[in-house]
Amino acid sequence: MRAATSALASFALAAALASCASSPGAEPSRAAPEPFAWELPAAIAAERPIVDPSRLQRATLANGLQIVVLEDRRLPRISAGFIALRGAAIESPEELGAAAFTAALMERGAGARDALALAAAVEDLGAQLDVSSDWDTLRVSVSGLSRDSDLLLGVLTDVVRRPRFEAADAKRAVAEQRAALVQAKDDPAALAAQHFMRALYGAHRLGTPAAGTDATVARFTSATARAFHARVVTPNLAILWAAGDVDAADFLARAERSYADMGGHDVAGLPEAPPIPEKRRVVLVDRPDLGQAQIVIGHEGIARTDARRLEAQLLNSAFGGGGFSSRLMARIRASEGLTYGIYSQFSQNRVPGPFVVSTFTRVPEVGKLLASAFEELERVRTDPPAGQELEHARQIRIGGFPLALETTDAVMASLLDLDVYGLPRDTIDTYRARMRAITAEQIAAAANALVHPERATIVVVGPAAALRETLAKYGEVEVVAP
Amino acid sequence: MRSIARSVLIVVCASLGSAALASTDAATAAVAKPIDDPALRTRVTTLANGLTLLTLEDHATPTVSLQVWVKVGSGDESRFTGIAHLFEHMNFLSSKNLAKLGPEAYTRIVEERGGRINAYTSRDVTVYFEDVAPEHLPLMIALEGERFANLEVTEEALKAERQVVIEERRMRNENDPEGLAFETLMSLTYQAHPYRIPTVGWLSDLEKVNAADCQAFWNTYYAANNLVIAIAGDFDSAEALALIEKHFGSLRQVAAIPRNPQEEPTQNGERRAVAHFPVQAPIVLAGYPAPATGHADSDALDVAAGVLAGGRTSRMYRSLVFDAPLALAPQALYWELQRAGIFVVGATLRPGVDVAKAEQVIYAEVAGLAERPPSPAELGRAKRALEVAWIGGQGTSHALASRIAQDYVAYGRIESLEEKLGAIERVSAADVQRVVRQYLAPSKRSVVQVFPTAEPEGRP
Repeated sequence: MRAATSALASFALAAALASCASSPGAEPSRAAPEPFAWELPAAIAAERPIVDPSRLQRATLANGLQIVVLEDRRLPRISAGFIALRGAAIESPEELGAAAFTAALMERGAGARDALALAAAVEDLGAQLDVSSDWDTLRVSVSGLSRDSDLLLGVLTDVVRRPRFEAADAKRAVAEQRAALVQAKDDPAALAAQHFMRALYGAHRLGTPAAGTDATVARFTSATARAFHARVVTPNLAILWAAGDVDAADFLARAERSYADMGGHDVAGLPEAPPIPEKRRVVLVDRPDLGQAQIVIGHEGIARTDARRLEAQLLNSAFGGGGFSSRLMARIRASEGLTYGIYSQFSQNRVPGPFVVSTFTRVPEVGKLLASAFEELERVRTDPPAGQELEHARQIRIGGFPLALETTDAVMASLLDLDVYGLPRDTIDTYRARMRAITAEQIAAAANALVHPERATIVVVGPAAALRETLAKYGEVEVVAP
Repeated sequence: MRSIARSVLIVVCASLGSAALASTDAATAAVAKPIDDPALRTRVTTLANGLTLLTLEDHATPTVSLQVWVKVGSGDESRFTGIAHLFEHMNFLSSKNLAKLGPEAYTRIVEERGGRINAYTSRDVTVYFEDVAPEHLPLMIALEGERFANLEVTEEALKAERQVVIEERRMRNENDPEGLAFETLMSLTYQAHPYRIPTVGWLSDLEKVNAADCQAFWNTYYAANNLVIAIAGDFDSAEALALIEKHFGSLRQVAAIPRNPQEEPTQNGERRAVAHFPVQAPIVLAGYPAPATGHADSDALDVAAGVLAGGRTSRMYRSLVFDAPLALAPQALYWELQRAGIFVVGATLRPGVDVAKAEQVIYAEVAGLAERPPSPAELGRAKRALEVAWIGGQGTSHALASRIAQDYVAYGRIESLEEKLGAIERVSAADVQRVVRQYLAPSKRSVVQVFPTAEPEGRP
C-alpha cells in the first residue's frame, strides 16, 4: 500500500477502485463487502513540477551580485530582498551580537528618511520592511502591493546601500537588544536551548546566542553597525531577489541601475567547524518555580552542505521529525502520555549545527522520559528504520514536499536557501527522485554515523532540588543559574 | 490543538499572539486592479441530515484542503472545562474500523501520503483538517466519515491523552507568563459569559473528566446539523459531493444544540488581577468587552487597534518604545469571537520598568484616541495594513477553506473580499473616535499585571 514498486499497475487498480467507490450504485459485486478506502492501494499523486522554468529568471551583474526573479502575477503582491551571505557566525569575540544589532539599526533610517520617516513610508502603503540576521546571512526584505513597487524597491536599495546608522537610534537599539536578551530567558524553551548550545560549543561562536551577550551589546555604537555593514554587504557575496507580481526584465534593469556600481571585497572570518564533544555533560538549569521541566538532548550534527543531508532528513523523519507518527512521538506522547510534543532535528548551517531532541514533561516524570528517549536514541542505531517504517517516513518527505512549497514565497525561500549555501540549483526538481533512491543500508549507516547517545549533552530546565538525583545517573550534574 | 506550539492556529485559542492573528482577519480597500476573489465561487450544499458542505474549486493550487468545522468550542462547556479540546485529541485515537491498524492510524495514513493532518479548538469551534495532493481527497473524506460515524471513546485511550493535554496546559498557560496573563485576563473580563473558560481547561477538570462525559459531549454536539465541511483547492465538486453524501449522509442529526447563557452582568468599575512569576520582563494587559464578530463597529475597532499599536509609527510604539524605553513590543488588538469580543491593549515591558508607570502611558494613549481622532495618515496606514493582509492571505487552499468556513459558521454566508475591503475603507476618523469612547472606557477595563518577583511572604 505504500510506495508502489509497480506504479503503473497499482495506479490502474486504484483508479478502478476509486471510481467504484465514488458511485456506490455501480458496485460490481454485492457478495464481498466493499473495502474501506484506507485498505485500497494508495492513490498515486501526480508529481507536478515545483518551479515553472518559464517564470524563473536568473542573472549575475558584473560585480558578482546574483539576481533571482520568480514571476507570479495572480495576486497584486510583490516581495523582494537582498541577502548578504555572511551573518553572526563571522563575529569576533568582541562583537558578539553585531549582526543582529546591524540589522536592527538598518531598519531605522536610510537614504533621505530618518527612522520614523522610513517606517511611515512603508506603513503608509500597508507594506512590510524586515531586516534580520542569522548565523549565515544578513537579510533585507520588503513586501506589499505591486502597485507600490517603485517605492518599495527604492526603500530596499536605500536600506541595503544607504542606512543612516544614527547615534540616537543606535542607543535605542542597544537598549532594546539588551532587554530582549534578558527577556529571552523568561521562556523555558529558549533558556534550555541557550544553555544547551553553551554546554555543547563553549567558546566557539555557536556557543553564545546569535544576539550576543549583555557585555558585548552594551558597548555597541553606531560605528559597530557601520563597520559590520561595510564588512558583509558586498555584491560578490550577495543575492538580490524578487517574487510575485513583478516583470523580470524590468526588475533586472532596475537591479543594474541600483546595484551595478557597488564595489566588492572578500569577507574574512568564517569559523572552523565546532569541536566534537568528547563526553557527555549534564546541565541542570535551576528554576524552582517550574512544574514542567524543559529538556534538550543532543550532540554534534551536520552542515547544510553535508553529502548525507538527505539521509539525515529521512532518518530524522522516522525518528522524531516526521509528525505524530515518528518513533519519539508514538512512544513518548501517544503511548506513554509523558509530553505534548517531542521533536528531533539536525540544525544545519554553513558550519555543522547540532542534532537535538527537545521536549518537556512534568517534573516527576523527567527520569522516565529521559530513559525512554535514550532507549530510542540507542535503538535507532541497533534497529534503524527499515521496511514499512522507512517507506512511511519516505512518503512523508516526498508527499509533503509540494505541500510545503505551495506558495510562490515558499518556493522562492527554498530557491534562495540553495543559493545561500551553494547547493545545486536543480535540487528542488530532483529532490523526490533522490529521496526515493535512499536505501535502508544508507539509513542504517547514517544512524550509526550521526547519532551518538553516549556523548549526548543533556540540559534540563526545572527545579534542581527535585531533579538533581534523577539526572545523576547520566553523569556529573552541573547545576547552574538561569 | 494537537501539534507544536509554533503553529499559527494554536495560539488562537490560548494566547495573545494568536488572538492578534485572528483579529487581523478583517480588512480594507482600493486596489489598483480588480482582485480575483475565488471565494465567490463557493458552492453551498445542505444534505438531508442538515450537514452543510462548502466547495470551492481553485485549480491554480496543486493541493486540496478538507476541513470539518464542528460548531462547538470551550464556550459551550458546562460541567468540565477543557472537554471540547480534550475531545478533539480523543478524536484522533481510534474508531471501530480503524482500531485494527493500531494507534495513531489517522495520522499515519495521512502522513504517509505526504499530507498534513491536525485539529484545533477555540472558544467557538473545533476544526479537523487535512491538506493533501488532490488524488488523496477521496481517502480523506472516507477517513473523516469514519471518525464522525464510528469514534470509540474508552477510558484506556483517555488515560494517556489526558496527560498529553495536561502537559499542553502547563506549556501554554502555566510555564509561559504571557499565556498565564491572557488566561487570567479572559476570566477577569468575562464573569458570566462562558468565554471566561480557558480553551485548554482548568487542571482539576482535566484530571477528573471521564470517558462517559466525553461520550455525552459527543452525543450532544457531534451531529450532522452542527457540522460545516469546507473543501477548497484542486478537486471536482460533484465527485466530492457524492463522497460526502456517501460517508456523511447517514450521520445522525439532533433536534436542538444547547448553548450556554451568555449575558454579562453590568460592570461598574475597573477589575484588577495581579500575578507574581519569577521572570525578568513584567507584563501588563487591559481588556475591554467588545462586540461579537460581524458587528457594525468591528472594522472601526480593528482600525483603532492599528492606530494604537500597528507598526513603528503607531501611538503606543512612539510612547512606549521610541520616546521612552518602557516596552519591548506594545500590542493592541480586537479579538472578535462569535458570541462576544474583547479589545486588548498591553505590552511585555522591559526588565526593571515600573509597571504602574507603563500602564498609565498605555491608558493615556487610549484616552488620547478618544480625544484626538486619527489623522488622515494614521487612518490610511491602519486601513492599508488590514487590506494588504487580506489580499496576501489567499495563497493556499488551506487559507481559502478556512476563510469560507469561518464566514459561513459566523455569518451563515460568505463575505466577498470586496465587502470586507469596502467595510474597512468606509471607517472614518470619527468612527474610530466613537468606538474608543464607547468601548474603551476606564470603568469597563479589566487589568492583569504580571510582576517579575516572588510574592512577598508574611503578609496577612
